[in-house]
Amino acid sequence: MLTTQPHLRTRRPSPTTVEYTVSTSPDLTLPLRLLLLTNFVLRTIIGLSVLLLLYSKFALSSFSSPIPTYPQPPAFFTTDYVWFLIHKITPSKPGLLAARLASHIPLVVLLPSSLLILYTILLRIHTTESLLVLRGLGIQTSTSSETYLSTATTRFIPTDKIQDILVNEAFRGFEVRYYLVVVVEGEEDVVVVFPRLLPRRQIVESVWRGARACLYEPHGGKDGGKG
Amino acid sequence: MPEHDGLMRVFWPLDAPRTDSPGIIVGWRNSGLDVFVVAILEDVDARNVENALKIGTLFRNASHPIERIYQLCGQSSMHVLGLANTPEADVEPLQMHATTGPGLREPQISCARAATIQIIMFERPLPNRMQYISLDPISLALGDQAEKTVHAPGSVDAEEEKEEMRNKERKRALVEKLKLHTVIKHPRSQKELALSRIVNQINCSWELHKLLQQNISLVGTRSRRSLSVSERVVESATSMRDFVVMAILQLITVYIYPTVRRAFIIGLLGHRVAAEALLLVLEWRARPDYAALKDISATAQQVEIRLQQFCYWPMQYVTLRKRKDDWESVTTSHADYIRFYNSLWLVANDVIIGIALGSYIIDNSAWVAESISGVLSTYSIAALQRTISWLMDWPAGLKLNNELAAFLGDLFLWVIDHWSSCIETLRPALPHLIWFIGFSSFAGASMPIAVFSDLVSILTIHIYSFYMASARIFNWQYTILISLFQLFRGKKHNVLRKRIDSCDYDLDQLLLGTILFTLLFFLLPTVVVFYLTFACSRMAIICLKAILDTLLACLNHFPLFALMLRIKDSQRLPGGIRFELRDTQQFASPSDNALPTSYIYLKSVPLTFRAMFQQYFQLGHRIRNHYLSPRVLWCLATGQFVPPIHRKNLYSLQYSMLPARRAGIWDMWNALVKTPPKQKQKPSGWEGRANGNGRRLNGNGRRYMHH
Repeated sequence: MLTTQPHLRTRRPSPTTVEYTVSTSPDLTLPLRLLLLTNFVLRTIIGLSVLLLLYSKFALSSFSSPIPTYPQPPAFFTTDYVWFLIHKITPSKPGLLAARLASHIPLVVLLPSSLLILYTILLRIHTTESLLVLRGLGIQTSTSSETYLSTATTRFIPTDKIQDILVNEAFRGFEVRYYLVVVVEGEEDVVVVFPRLLPRRQIVESVWRGARACLYEPHGGKDGGKG
Repeated sequence: MPEHDGLMRVFWPLDAPRTDSPGIIVGWRNSGLDVFVVAILEDVDARNVENALKIGTLFRNASHPIERIYQLCGQSSMHVLGLANTPEADVEPLQMHATTGPGLREPQISCARAATIQIIMFERPLPNRMQYISLDPISLALGDQAEKTVHAPGSVDAEEEKEEMRNKERKRALVEKLKLHTVIKHPRSQKELALSRIVNQINCSWELHKLLQQNISLVGTRSRRSLSVSERVVESATSMRDFVVMAILQLITVYIYPTVRRAFIIGLLGHRVAAEALLLVLEWRARPDYAALKDISATAQQVEIRLQQFCYWPMQYVTLRKRKDDWESVTTSHADYIRFYNSLWLVANDVIIGIALGSYIIDNSAWVAESISGVLSTYSIAALQRTISWLMDWPAGLKLNNELAAFLGDLFLWVIDHWSSCIETLRPALPHLIWFIGFSSFAGASMPIAVFSDLVSILTIHIYSFYMASARIFNWQYTILISLFQLFRGKKHNVLRKRIDSCDYDLDQLLLGTILFTLLFFLLPTVVVFYLTFACSRMAIICLKAILDTLLACLNHFPLFALMLRIKDSQRLPGGIRFELRDTQQFASPSDNALPTSYIYLKSVPLTFRAMFQQYFQLGHRIRNHYLSPRVLWCLATGQFVPPIHRKNLYSLQYSMLPARRAGIWDMWNALVKTPPKQKQKPSGWEGRANGNGRRLNGNGRRYMHH
């Protein structure tokens, strides 16, 4: 429900610049926004409770030292405030529950599983990949990263390095996929556009046509056949 | 005009003023409709600016020759590109009108010739902070000879090398084939070819902008008023003080500084000569294909790396000093700068850690020696003895051949006994040795690690020889079994044709061969058990040494400085560029006949962490290829000798920071002595400035800029 089939969005502010975005995120409607918000809140709660559990495990060990007490709440953006919060939470109900759980789960199980959970809640819901074509400059592929921790990886290929843009087909499991590749001069490996989503052939073909029309000046003649 | 499509490309700096006052846009014109905005000059007349650009008035008082900038940017002059915020004024058809304002985040541009417009906004990199952009990722390794060391064919790794070459060849053929798919070759337009120049223009733009803004007053028609009497008094007083200071400084620069400098150079050179002598010893080979001292011993290798670094530093420093004689926008030496300070920092770190480690070892030398000898005797002698006795006595219920096991076991036990008595006689010397190791660590923590690595190889030499011996026995038995098995089947191996042929054996041959085959086959498990034991212990030692080598690699090569730069100011480590298409709807002007315009932000991509540790990945890949390949497993299984990975391959990581050929003593002398002219310019520079001060009295001063 949160994701859809990869679909194409095109931004073309001028005829010489076009950005093709293939994304699994559906159009934002009100219910969807609400759902995303709930998802975000849930992830935050799960993440915080995992952190609390980890802290309680640490507090049970011999390395921990008693938390200093604060008569009044310190300023918000300080480490003191974090300690103050922890001091508040530990004797409360969830804090006690976490302490009880932490005393039952051995560290060997707790540590990997909580790391796994933390990694899972940091995973992005949607994958977005884009191709930006700038006449006279080159093309740029971009792939959104797996987690929220890092930004998208981009690769810019200047036009004088582009040897060709082709649609190719390949076996993947039990299916045949069409994919767009950029052949770069002087490099052994081709650059695959939309490498994670590998959208359907119609999308690939329209992007291919659009990219070639946009990239080269029109006096070049008709497009060649696809490879 | 080569452009048919009427695409106008404008590079626009993000820090251009966002006021609505009129101005003149000045910059580079790369080709007809491809322009690069450097500055917007306000309160001046367009014709004056054009003239000033031609004569060079705007480039006065430049710290370095302006021709260098022209050469970098690939243009012969700057031009007036258009007008800002004066829509009613007439301009030439190729010039543009720009509208900026406090409310507009992006400028709006129109041009008579253009049909569509790309506005590429960029942030000027600050050259005084050594920021720059580049199309290719900055290379932290000294690239040119890294390749060469990889491919130096060690005779041991010849097969791997061949395999790799074959793979490369296959891939290259595929790439050649891929080229055939391209039907139409598109001719490159001028805009496409300008990209590398534009990168330089972006890098130079900050300094140029500063220069233009400094000289803007020279273009205007403002008249200078003459100085008042009190101002003249102040001027002459300051110039008097300047004169006295100058005289003292001159005394220092003329008499004291050169002497100190000369002494320092001579000291450096003496050091260099000593280093050269030591290096010659370390690199001496009896014959070209024999191993040198540095190939055998980790300590020698470590000393060699340090000496090479000491030899390289003065050269590096001299090249870095040359940076000062050029515009700060020239970015060719930034990677050198990072390499130089990285290696300095690593050595400093190494020494600091080494001092801590060394003082600890020296303080506790008795305890350290005791524990080391304890560990050694436990693991390399007692444990081995116990294992061998266990093997002689039907290990794990395995019924081995008693006589052979007793023979082999006794053989190994005698050698171990002898070896342990040797070690016992050496034991009193161990505390001294430990003290020596501790002392050596004042030269850096890498030193004791290297010495320890060598110590491990010396003290486990008996395991190495056991492994060799048992592998040899096992391998003989294996090959004999193979050939006897062929005999058993009535075949034989044809050496000339490299195939199995049928063969008619005589009866006695067959009988004897079969008996021998059975005999050897039943003796095989006994030999295998011994072989496996020693092979495992050998592998354990190789692993230990690999860990020590990795530690050494970390101490010698860790990209610490680059990592810090990446965190502090990632613009200094460019890893390429990226573009970001901005939405134009929200900026669309109410005026209807605006040209279709796309706003693009150009940003620098910082170097990825993966690229920073690229060399470590390469090293890991090489080690994996060497030790986890099927070939090595096959060697292990058949008892052939597993060659240790060649030191050259392992250490290419560390040598990637050093040039392949070190500069000779004479080169170094030349490089060091050649700098004084530039240093000696200083006095004349001071005089120049004094003159300048003097002339400033007259009104139109021509000052020299100094950093």
